[in-house]
Amino acid sequence: MLLFSGNEWYKELSHDEIQNVISQTKAWFDRLNAQGKIKDGQPLARKGAIVSGKNGQSVSDGPFAESKEAIGGYLLLDVETMEEAIAIARTNPALAYGTVIEIRPVAGECPLDARARESALQEQLANV
Amino acid sequence: MSTQNQNQNGYMLLFRGTDLRKSLSPDEMQKVSEQWMAWFKRLTDEGKAVAGQPLEREGKVVSGKQRIVSDGPFAESKEAIGGYFLLDVATMDEALAIARECPGLPYDIQVEVRPVAAECPIAADVRKEARFAQV
Repeated sequence: MLLFSGNEWYKELSHDEIQNVISQTKAWFDRLNAQGKIKDGQPLARKGAIVSGKNGQSVSDGPFAESKEAIGGYLLLDVETMEEAIAIARTNPALAYGTVIEIRPVAGECPLDARARESALQEQLANV
Repeated sequence: MSTQNQNQNGYMLLFRGTDLRKSLSPDEMQKVSEQWMAWFKRLTDEGKAVAGQPLEREGKVVSGKQRIVSDGPFAESKEAIGGYFLLDVATMDEALAIARECPGLPYDIQVEVRPVAAECPIAADVRKEARFAQV
């Protein structure tokens, strides 16, 4: 999965430059899509909410669009290796303007499950 | 036009904070994981969740003109994303109600609720600006 952040790049660009980056990014997406490399992908609206606290009692605005870490969209790639995912991420046209791309393998099972097993095994070994 | 609280494109839940291991025993972890899966199954059966996946803890980050590749995000970070759900619900209120049911909340997981956009918000802004410029 590719997660895009640093989405305030356009503020420093002229109208034509922004248009240019958008067209390039769209062409990039269309090419990957035509190659069958994309399973899913969508932009996210800038506003949102963050739910936290024991019973989710706290709801705050966020993330703030100005934040460099705010996620602006995602792409779910249909590729087999991290190398391939990195190679695709590196061809993104908006990187030159401050976009940051996080690349994360999708897990086959909940990592919590795997960790629970791992910890249980460690405990067993410790008790031997 | 959609109002502020209506969105036909659905909502995304991003689960932040992936380092439960320190505060939970293996049994507790197993329990939270089971609750989480049961929650997702119920939402899927109700037609409210259309996709959802956990992410591996390790990843890479690509950035800059030189397209530098670095390790990250760090699993210990409170902001690290551990997984997501895509919801087919029409309002922010519905999405928030679902987010509040997340079994990870008592263990410091935060749920970010984001409306999915029909098109890139930047492209939409540029079009709007262009329209104003013509007036």
